[in-house]
Amino acid sequence: MQTTSTFESVLRGMAITVIILFFMFPIFWIFLMSFQTNETILRVPPSPFFEPTLTNYRSLISGRLEGSTATLEIAFMSNLYNSLFLSVTSVTVGLLLGVPAAYAFARLKFRGSEDIAFTLLSFRFAPPLLVLLPLTIYFQQIGLADTYGGLIWVYQLIVLPLILWIVRGYFEDIPADIEYAYRIAGHGFWATFRKIALPLAGPGIAAAGLLAFIFAWNNFIFALVLASADKQPVTVGALAFITASGINYGQIAAGIMLSIAPTFALALYAQRYLVEGLSLGAVKG
Amino acid sequence: MATATAGDPPKRKFKINKRYLPYLLSLPALLTCIGILIPFFTAVAYSLQRYRLSQPWAREYNWGENYLNFMTDPSFWNTLKVSMTYAFVTVGVELLLGLGIALLLQKRTRFNNFVSIMLLMPLMTAPALASLMWKLMTNPGFGVLSYFAELIGIEDMRWASDPSTAMLTVVIVDVWVYTPFIMILLLAGLRSLPRQPFEAAELDGVPRLFVFWKITLPMLTPFLLTATLFRVIESIQQFDIIYAMTQGGPGDTLTVFQVEAYLNFFQSTNVGRSAALLMILWAITYFLSNIFIKNWLRLREKARGDA
Amino acid sequence: MSLELTDLSKSFKDDTVLDGVSLHVPEGKTLVLFGPSGAGKTVLLRLIAGVIEPDTGQIKISGMDVDGVAPEDRNIGMAFQNFALFPHMDAHANIASPLTAQKQDKSAIQAGVQALAKLLKIDHVLGHKPKELSNGQKQRTALARALAGKPKILLLDDPLRNVDAKLRFEMRLELPRLLSDQNATVVYVTQDYKEAMAFGDEIAVINGGVVQQIGTPEQIYLTPANVEIARLFGDPVINFLDVTPQKDATGVFALISDKRVDLDAGYSHVVGQDCSLGIRPESVLFVPEDHPGAVPVTVEAETPLNEKTVNLCLTARGREIMASRPSGTDGPAIGAAFVTIEAANALLFDKLTGALIEPTDIAVKGKVA
Repeated sequence: MQTTSTFESVLRGMAITVIILFFMFPIFWIFLMSFQTNETILRVPPSPFFEPTLTNYRSLISGRLEGSTATLEIAFMSNLYNSLFLSVTSVTVGLLLGVPAAYAFARLKFRGSEDIAFTLLSFRFAPPLLVLLPLTIYFQQIGLADTYGGLIWVYQLIVLPLILWIVRGYFEDIPADIEYAYRIAGHGFWATFRKIALPLAGPGIAAAGLLAFIFAWNNFIFALVLASADKQPVTVGALAFITASGINYGQIAAGIMLSIAPTFALALYAQRYLVEGLSLGAVKG
Repeated sequence: MATATAGDPPKRKFKINKRYLPYLLSLPALLTCIGILIPFFTAVAYSLQRYRLSQPWAREYNWGENYLNFMTDPSFWNTLKVSMTYAFVTVGVELLLGLGIALLLQKRTRFNNFVSIMLLMPLMTAPALASLMWKLMTNPGFGVLSYFAELIGIEDMRWASDPSTAMLTVVIVDVWVYTPFIMILLLAGLRSLPRQPFEAAELDGVPRLFVFWKITLPMLTPFLLTATLFRVIESIQQFDIIYAMTQGGPGDTLTVFQVEAYLNFFQSTNVGRSAALLMILWAITYFLSNIFIKNWLRLREKARGDA
Repeated sequence: MSLELTDLSKSFKDDTVLDGVSLHVPEGKTLVLFGPSGAGKTVLLRLIAGVIEPDTGQIKISGMDVDGVAPEDRNIGMAFQNFALFPHMDAHANIASPLTAQKQDKSAIQAGVQALAKLLKIDHVLGHKPKELSNGQKQRTALARALAGKPKILLLDDPLRNVDAKLRFEMRLELPRLLSDQNATVVYVTQDYKEAMAFGDEIAVINGGVVQQIGTPEQIYLTPANVEIARLFGDPVINFLDVTPQKDATGVFALISDKRVDLDAGYSHVVGQDCSLGIRPESVLFVPEDHPGAVPVTVEAETPLNEKTVNLCLTARGREIMASRPSGTDGPAIGAAFVTIEAANALLFDKLTGALIEPTDIAVKGKVA
């Protein structure tokens, strides 16, 4: 080890402090805001000390904002529900479609398999609006406009490539001999898939599912283009929220906190797989 | 206890032919995506048409006219300039910052791991919501950042609503959200590097700056390249942050490709122009993603090999 | 059930792994596939098991072409070199897997697994997951799994490769009995010539994707088809001396250190041709100086090798010769000594191609002159 001078470690400490401040402060500040009333938020200078209140959360959850002039109905909880429903179903559908396909790409090298896998991957990098804008017109024609079904279908654009490429890697990591052994022992292709491949790739499938959930939850543009108010997830709903009149800033903050809490929780839970998932398997965590 | 099957010669059963099995397994996924390929070709067709939703009767193929018009269209050049600026500034800053943080956190200590997990939180925030958070903090009336700006002598900082600082504001949000992405990729890269060259350099007393330039950086190049391309491809398409912050405003300060295409489609209902814009964006990202995928595949191959 | 392979070929990309392999294993017999790693042995087993498909050629089990028959329908048991145990199942479930596939009822499965586990001395670890098993236990579990379904064809892919020497020795004794109890047709892959000699009714020497020789262990040992096979079979390794056979009125002979060593008269057709004379170490005998045809050597070293003792000698021309004799018998002291070569047991190979040269007439091999 080269000697690290005190000067250097002080510098290091300062750098890390600044970095933590920059990245953590916004979350911390909005968190504080979510427990404040407009009076304390509007104080000059702003201060982190105040009497915390749960009214913001309470009114969001009850769906009624008691403003100074009138009572405002807001649909935040239904946005939250939409986010949950869209993300969960999209990921479920994505897993049902993606896991068998991933297995085919991993195990059964077939003619054109690499090309197809790349085509699927390239969807990940194409401008989403390129597909979304014509889709708005098509969806109106075939009656999928403003339906959960239509949205879930389009969500596969984000969910499928992710699941396909992560899970494929996990399938490839299972030694082929183990599957051969099960086949030779007398079990069919499907039994081998269910009893050997699926359980052994289990952690990878779970990780891909969690990541896909995070991406689906955080998506904004699909629902902005394709969903009307009653189908909108929180990302789009919150935007309408900020322009609505008579809303307290504390309630916006509380809405944001409620909206980011699920992905934070999942990220903490699945952090081991984040690196691998975010890089589509290019980097091992 | 020989069973019925054990003694018999092998029997031939009707089976789904092995040759079709892979297609059968991947078909549902493929069909789902093919449904999405159709709109892509529709978009190509739109881009070759004079097509306004408000004037459906005037719809006709004008072939390359939408593209030709771009040559003399200052707002197209503005879009190109704004998109490029946004992509290069955000990715540049994120790369430097991400590399710096990764180097700071390189050692596997409990504290470093904790910090790197904390730093992931912005990345887990929906970009649109991140914009809202920063909007609340940069509100000229009560925003805490506006107050800080005042403290250091910048009076009446109006952040995203001022054309001179709007780009800066969205860049900060983008940097806040995506630097952690580059950071964890490079951190994983740094930690996967073989130790011997570094130990050898240390034994020989090679200066650390020299080690960084001559050993660390070259070995990290594939990771840097992957992270950079990944981010450039996404950044040049950025929509969420900008739309949630200013909807492309003020004026046309932030009308990047996708925002401009969105506004063309939904506000001025100029479908033809919107589609042509997106085709140009697609051409750029397609070019970049081809380079990216090649590089990414190599890295993935290596990651699998190490496992 | 008999097993018949006809003209099997398999390539991966541009790499030809098997090139026209034909083999026949009669019912209840054991065929050993012997060859270096990368020779294509494992691929051959996988073709028989049906987990990969041949490019060309035919596999018949009990006379029936099994092309297109799925692995699970071939009634085969296979033990893998790396064991390939199911990591998420305990030893019991691993061994039981062929029985559950046959839809046997619980008590029958229980009894079947117990009996095998007892036989293989792993009944105390049945509840353990593979990663909690020692290598030897893994190997026995893998073997038990291969046997559990009472398959009529057993494929054993170098099952003793990854276990320690003591266990390998034990299994070498146990396995033949176990296999004969099964009454199965066995294909046994190994790189160890002793295993090959011990287990095989027949041995097929395979190298570079081609079968180089098929024969009983004795045939392979006594008349190896080429230099390479001669080298692979036998420990210590066979001696080779470059000779040029000559002929005079008394017969065919070669000169070793200017001493005449008589060869079989059937070699008269290769007189004057460059050859390699292969002499097994046990055919090199120490003799007194006055023994006819005694070749002078220098004894350099002596090494006990299990039941044998090996002497490393140098000829007058500086070539190494190894001589082995049963341990406990009298041997030479380090230094000058004399040896004689049992010409009847010597093998002659073409110097260029390495192929065995057979004597033309009906010379009797393997008999002490």
